[in-house]
Amino acid sequence: MFAGIDVGSLTAEALVIHEGRIVGSEIISVLPNPVDSARVVMDALLSRKGLTWKDLKYTISTGYGREKIQHYGLAQETLSEISCHGSGAHTLDPEVRTIIDIGGQDAKVIKLDAKGGLDDFVMNNKCAAGTGHFLEAMSRALGVGLEDLGPLAMKAKKPIAMSNRCTIYVETEVIHYLQRGASRQDVAGGITMAMADRVVALARRIGPKNKIMITGGVAKNKAVKAALEKALGVKIAYPSLDPQLIGAYGAAVYAARKGGST
Amino acid sequence: MITIGCDVGSLFSKAVVMDGDDIIAKKIIATTGRIAVEVHDLLQEVMKSAGIPADRVDCLGATGNGAGLVKGAAFVEDTITCTGAAAWYFIPEVRCAIDVGGQSITSIAIDDEGTVTDFMRNDKCASGSGRFLEMMSAKLGLSLRDVDKIAAEARNVVNISSQCGVFAESEVITHVNNGEEKSDIMAGVCAAVAKMVSAQGRRFGASGHFTLLGGVAKIEAITKRVHEKLGGRFNPFPFDPQLAGAVGASLLGDPD
Repeated sequence: MFAGIDVGSLTAEALVIHEGRIVGSEIISVLPNPVDSARVVMDALLSRKGLTWKDLKYTISTGYGREKIQHYGLAQETLSEISCHGSGAHTLDPEVRTIIDIGGQDAKVIKLDAKGGLDDFVMNNKCAAGTGHFLEAMSRALGVGLEDLGPLAMKAKKPIAMSNRCTIYVETEVIHYLQRGASRQDVAGGITMAMADRVVALARRIGPKNKIMITGGVAKNKAVKAALEKALGVKIAYPSLDPQLIGAYGAAVYAARKGGST
Repeated sequence: MITIGCDVGSLFSKAVVMDGDDIIAKKIIATTGRIAVEVHDLLQEVMKSAGIPADRVDCLGATGNGAGLVKGAAFVEDTITCTGAAAWYFIPEVRCAIDVGGQSITSIAIDDEGTVTDFMRNDKCASGSGRFLEMMSAKLGLSLRDVDKIAAEARNVVNISSQCGVFAESEVITHVNNGEEKSDIMAGVCAAVAKMVSAQGRRFGASGHFTLLGGVAKIEAITKRVHEKLGGRFNPFPFDPQLAGAVGASLLGDPD
């Protein structure tokens, strides 16, 4: 069996494959130390499936602290998130040429060639606008749970366009609109549009090519996906696997290729 | 001649009563929701403390984001003109003023006749603004008033690497959780603000005699570092630098 471990800023994922099929996967909230996150998430997966670490022939770690995870013997090799996302998305759907990956603290747009190799990529990790953090701050301002923001935005009749980009200023704007009696649905709709604007601006820097797939935790927000489709003028594919697991899946696919041949 | 300047900013509203070059009364209040009412009360209070009845005021000038809400103003002028005028009037050798306000950083070039010849403004991002400083100090449970005192006690200044206020806030929380001293974190935040302010100053080409204005310029832990990074000659504003916009609006009401 082969495994991938992906430790992000907010969640950690583990995934195990056997003969090309997914045996199991697990997602947890991160612990302060990435090595602990890796151990805990894999332990949870293994115990649920009645497996042990010894069943894993080759494991690849990706994401934050991946070298440390390898150093502590939890993985045999490390690989960048970009490569793992590329491999994961390509394996799920070989027609994918662009991946829009929106995580808790960053957003990446990755372009792939026909073989699933990396063609180009661009990342925003400097500004919270256009990342999961933005949505988190906005759902707090709206007083709803993060997972309720999408459904709320889908009900918007007249989304209110935000005039700011900065998360901190948009937060003030949101409060201002709510105080003036705007509907929460319309404000949520505006938040979604603002989010999509930043991601599209990022994607345009490398010119997205079809087919586009969305991954990362934010992909679960259907309103964001719809707003991105509207702004880009194309349909965006949703992975057949939990979009948070693509990195771990790609790592496991690599591990199978690497471990299977050695 | 008695003039009043009122600067309605994003975080604070400021008013000064001037008799020629002298500030005879001043007041700063937090800008909250009911701006028109707050500003009205602010003006009443500042006139009362100056001992000047409304009919003795020769001119009321307004500036700032909310300048349109100052009832009875003889004119509304933008903050760049006002802060530039105030800087040049009191420090004639100054060729650049960097105004760090609640929601923006603005660098202003002033020629030897006091004319504003160029400016650069960042109001798209909260990075380095008064709001940024306020957020970080709030996370440390400190008011803006305590920032300098606490930062001065720092021994091992921590590094805040994010420019984004949201990410910097997470960094501050991490430092708190790691048991770092409040003073070391606060000093790190001040250093980060100074870095952002001086970065804009450098891009703008600030050199030689410069001054720092706005609420953030009250904090020595920041002004000292901006000076170190920018070089040149730092000329502190002779009054509370947070009042510069209001002082400028007041000065512009006096034709002399």
